[in-house]
Amino acid sequence: MLVLTRKVHQSIMIGEDIEVVVLEVRGEQVRIGIRAHKGVAVHRKEVFDQIKLVNTESADVRPEDLPA
Amino acid sequence: MVLNSTRFGLVDYVEQDVMTFADGLVGFPDFTQFVVICPKEGSQFRWLQSVEDSNLAFLTTVPFQYVADYSPVISSKTAKGLGLTEDNQPLVFVTVSIPRGRPEDMTLNLAGPIIVNPVTRWGRQVILENDSYSIRHRAFSESIVASVAVAA
Repeated sequence: MLVLTRKVHQSIMIGEDIEVVVLEVRGEQVRIGIRAHKGVAVHRKEVFDQIKLVNTESADVRPEDLPA
Repeated sequence: MVLNSTRFGLVDYVEQDVMTFADGLVGFPDFTQFVVICPKEGSQFRWLQSVEDSNLAFLTTVPFQYVADYSPVISSKTAKGLGLTEDNQPLVFVTVSIPRGRPEDMTLNLAGPIIVNPVTRWGRQVILENDSYSIRHRAFSESIVASVAVAA
């Protein structure tokens, strides 16, 4: 993993058109801003992982288990 | 065209039946083309059968019959990306989880609805930003589950 040190209001470019900005650091919390074109989906990882899990479950449902 | 699906056997479809999800569903970015399969006439369920993988089909339903006031907020960015307008409202599906042999424990993912433009048939699974909807919303209330258990 690439590791970079940034100060508040400094940012990181990912490729040509994704910018990640550190907005605020308060105790254990960091506020981050992401500027990206509309085709890029940005999600909190824990939410992304949960949605991926229930998507997998929906693809594992057996047709015989559908309620009438 | 015909695809040979694992669950439903041969499925006849035409190009106009195909829905395109440019990003796939969350966790499944490689599968972008789906056709809708209704398990039987009058069923509230819809399978999203992948055109690219015969073994992949997501079980979905229309959420409003379970949650009448369900109103996911679609960002203007997403609406624009799908070509939705005031006059062209989206179709909304949610994925359904059913544990093996326990249909009474069916849950709906209200936090990640599948939004489809009915005209272009472009779709996208949206992750809602606020926490007002559950990823595991129970479809049947406890009392219904109890009556199901008694009936059984």
